[in-house]
Amino acid sequence: MVDFGFGLLASSRINLDLFDKEKFDSLAAAEPDVRKCIACGSCTAVCTAGKFTPTSLRAAIEELQNGRDEVAMNMLKGCQLCGKCTMVCPRGINTRHLILSIAKIYSKKK
Amino acid sequence: MRNNVLIIGGGPAGLEAGANLQRLGYNVLLVEHSNTLGGHLGKWDRLFPSGTPASGALDKLLGSMDGVKCFIDTEIQSINRLGKSYNVILSNGITVLADAVLVATGFDLFQAEKKEEYGYGIYDHVITNADLEQYFKTGLDARINAPKKIGFVHCVGSRDEKSGCRSCSKVCCATAVKQACEMKAAFPDAQIYCFYMDLRMFGRHYEDMYLEAQRDYGIRFIRGRVAEVSENIDGSLSVKAEDTVSSKPLKVSLDLLVLMAGMRPSVSGQRIGSLLGMQNEKDGYFEVLSEITSQQRSPIPGLFLAGAATGPKTLPDTLADARGAATQIDKYLSAIFPKAKDLKQLIKTAW
Amino acid sequence: MPANIFPILAAQASPEVIDRIPSSYSHFVIPFVAGITFFLVWIFVGFIRVLIQLNHDDRMKFWTSLLNPITAGKNIRDLFCDCLFHTKIWQRKPLLGYMHSAIAFGWFMLIVLGHVEVALFVPKHLSYGEGGLFYPIFYRYFVWIRPGHESLRGAFFFFLMDFFLLYVLTGIGLAMFKRFRSIVLGMRHTTKPSLADRVALYSLWMIFPLRLLAESFTADLSGGSFLTLGMNHLLHFLFGDKLYFQPFWWAYSICLGTFFAAMPFSRYMHILTEVLWILFRNAGLKPSHPRKGVAEAEIYACSSCGLCLDACPMNVQKKNLKYSSVYFIRFLRRHNERKIAEIADKCLMCDKCHALCPVSVDAPALRRAQRQTTNDHLPYDYSYLATVPVKLYEPATPRHPEPATPRHPELDSGSNSSKVLYFAGCMSHLTPRIIKAVEEIFKKAGIEYVFADREGGICCGRPLLLAGKTEAAAKTMDANKSMIKASGCKTLVLSCPICYKVFKEEYNLVGIRVVHYTQYFKELIDAGKLNVGKSQEKIVYHDPCELGRGCNVYEEPRTVLRQVGDLVKAGHEYDESICCGGSLGSLTLSQNDRRKITDAAIKDLTVASPDTIVTACPLCLKTFSERSTVPVKDFAEVLTTHCA
Repeated sequence: MVDFGFGLLASSRINLDLFDKEKFDSLAAAEPDVRKCIACGSCTAVCTAGKFTPTSLRAAIEELQNGRDEVAMNMLKGCQLCGKCTMVCPRGINTRHLILSIAKIYSKKK
Repeated sequence: MRNNVLIIGGGPAGLEAGANLQRLGYNVLLVEHSNTLGGHLGKWDRLFPSGTPASGALDKLLGSMDGVKCFIDTEIQSINRLGKSYNVILSNGITVLADAVLVATGFDLFQAEKKEEYGYGIYDHVITNADLEQYFKTGLDARINAPKKIGFVHCVGSRDEKSGCRSCSKVCCATAVKQACEMKAAFPDAQIYCFYMDLRMFGRHYEDMYLEAQRDYGIRFIRGRVAEVSENIDGSLSVKAEDTVSSKPLKVSLDLLVLMAGMRPSVSGQRIGSLLGMQNEKDGYFEVLSEITSQQRSPIPGLFLAGAATGPKTLPDTLADARGAATQIDKYLSAIFPKAKDLKQLIKTAW
Repeated sequence: MPANIFPILAAQASPEVIDRIPSSYSHFVIPFVAGITFFLVWIFVGFIRVLIQLNHDDRMKFWTSLLNPITAGKNIRDLFCDCLFHTKIWQRKPLLGYMHSAIAFGWFMLIVLGHVEVALFVPKHLSYGEGGLFYPIFYRYFVWIRPGHESLRGAFFFFLMDFFLLYVLTGIGLAMFKRFRSIVLGMRHTTKPSLADRVALYSLWMIFPLRLLAESFTADLSGGSFLTLGMNHLLHFLFGDKLYFQPFWWAYSICLGTFFAAMPFSRYMHILTEVLWILFRNAGLKPSHPRKGVAEAEIYACSSCGLCLDACPMNVQKKNLKYSSVYFIRFLRRHNERKIAEIADKCLMCDKCHALCPVSVDAPALRRAQRQTTNDHLPYDYSYLATVPVKLYEPATPRHPEPATPRHPELDSGSNSSKVLYFAGCMSHLTPRIIKAVEEIFKKAGIEYVFADREGGICCGRPLLLAGKTEAAAKTMDANKSMIKASGCKTLVLSCPICYKVFKEEYNLVGIRVVHYTQYFKELIDAGKLNVGKSQEKIVYHDPCELGRGCNVYEEPRTVLRQVGDLVKAGHEYDESICCGGSLGSLTLSQNDRRKITDAAIKDLTVASPDTIVTACPLCLKTFSERSTVPVKDFAEVLTTHCA
């Protein structure tokens, strides 16, 4: 039997009300560069791990601010910290430290 | 008495200001360090947004220079404040006492080889916007060989802290769209991609040009910055970027990659600046008295600025800026010089 | 322990001397005895603690190393050279070397000779029951010469003692001078002493002048040589016949006691801990924790001499002095967690402080161990590595331009055994100059090669190691290892020193030769496979940190560069070369601070106004290229332009 549980379906829409400002602020305190991204995608384009598994710092930063922390974390779990993204980032974001800081702050259970 | 006005730089800004000051009755001397007048305009083929021939615009500028004394192949050797004027010694031995100096030293194109990951000067099929204009003018460039797939990279050396320039060069987006259309016209079979970060179509008719590029020329606009280019065994280029709209890294093989090299403060202009003791703002361009109301005046009395010496500008912006500078110079000279006494006070109040 | 070495000590004093206080006790020794007892208990407990903290393997390694004659020989040499003579400081800064060796070796000799004197003249007082703990120190107080019985050996010891006392005093004099004018001794920056440091420092300064005074006051009675006897005459001349010496012996004892009591809390703890660290170091022990076990010995072996301050490339800006290794270690001692974490992350890991450290304290390893405590447990998921094909590479040579031959990425590994595997690494993909030049040289030399990561590969794992993600690095390395083995190649050529270091040191690739391209191309030239021509080009070579200090490859690139151009000197070279500022080692250093380092390095490289800066690392190449007005080229690139 197919259960059309409409009421249970999560909305596919991004809900900005889910954005955890406090957490993001603490991330920005640890690595202020997180606010500097212009979403050019350079990091994702050169990503060593990204060739094999979906990895995107640009998307992760976006998703964190969209309140989709889980999705963001999944975007970074394959990162090997090789530093190519640091080399190409036009805003000079310290990407490796940002990735470590995201892992530190968002892997903590509430 | 006809006041002497010295213009440093024979690009569009210098030419336009020179012609206007001459008409206002000043004795204008224009010094250009290269061997031709016209600056970057002389190297361009067509102008956005409507494809006006650059040569026509340049001819018009040069045509109204009657009476302006132009020295090409000439450097400023020294320049010193002498009372209310500037004592200038030129490399050809001429000494001038200039009552006002207009610095119109323009810009340099960013050296694309500095962005090594794009492979300019390393790979066989990577060129710059300037190279492409040269190709349009002459039809000669060994690197352009009936390309089937062409990519345009926006923001090369612009909006990039790594290459030392945070700001936008203002003209590259429109140039890229213009050149993409021209290439499509030249190679109708070619598929053309524009890799952009933000498409800055701010000017009049620019949006129309963009629409035409999409609709009539079928140019694909990809929102993502090219970050790595490698060469395939057959000599074609493998270009990597992220399609940030679909959130996926992408790779495409191209036969030609055109880099939209941005604007930099001109190196020879910086030399003039240091001779005159002018300050730069953080972006490396000359400081102006007020960015809103006195764009054409330097904080140093008697020194005026026009064109890209004070930051990236489109050609019409530059010409308007030059006309503004001419008006400012006229205002200054007519206020200061009739009453030569009380100069200090006058300078204070007039500036 | 003299008491145990000589179970039966002669009860009789030798005829030259009067054992004037047979009870071998005077009140003034109390401060010294209290201080030294506290100190000895402290280090004994500390030693046991460190041994307990070692894991079982390390402990076994340590004990067996002591029995190994080669290590034992090295231990003895290092103990003398590093602890007493400070040869490493001598080599770089002779005056500073003299200062350290004067205090260390001079004092050591005073102690040894003091004991020898006791053993010769009043042997029974070597026994701890007879004051053996302090008697040799205050020998001149307890033993007076018997008039008319002077002997040659007595005079000889008087001379030696005076000589070494003078030697120490000159060292102390320099040390005082250095506090105020360090630059004279070759140090731009010195460390700021802590409170305990100051207490110990000032008491140390006082010990020897007071000893001189105390011994001078009694020199006519207890004997002395040119220094003490001379002083004694002077004092008699100044103060008349009756000299009251008691206060000086008291002051001397108090200073000694204060020094030893303050020692465990001060930088001077290094004097003894150094010994343990040298033994650990030579046993091959590495810290696995930033504070426990090996690390504990290591951080207390740091003498806070501050040589790492001038060494650290971050210190082109004075504000960054606080991130130097010496302060890192100080905060480790003080358990200041916030500072420890901050400083650990800042470092570029260029290893210069380690290379220049007089006792080879490996501060970068400590920083890595610290990073491990904060980063190793962070979540990651490398399950995708299992899905990466082991044969990532494609056949690169011979190239088949005819389209008839289908491109076959999977080669039979057996056919590759004569080929070279080239692994460019992540960074080299952003510096196409290097890849292009390397391939060109392979072609010119007729080398058949397989390009492992033409289309991009897996990271080498070194950046993860540097970030303290050891477990994740191991997984990454496993994946690469299978890839390299599957290739069947027997030689692995790397153009990136970061990759080279980790492939060479951590991969354990049995049967596969791992070489850096500077080494490999030198071999090609030596073998006549590659012909290079000499030009007038003035070249300066920049030692990449990971290649030079990291892997000790200094000469190969220089030999080759001398063959193609005029190799000129940089301000700092070899193990003193300055990091380019682009290092992956630092996790938190800002762009701005990095730029300052880059500019300083470029300035240092161009002191002899070279035409070209040459380096052999993609990261250095890119970092320098962005800032330098002098053209920056890669090693392989230079070779291609000078290839016949």
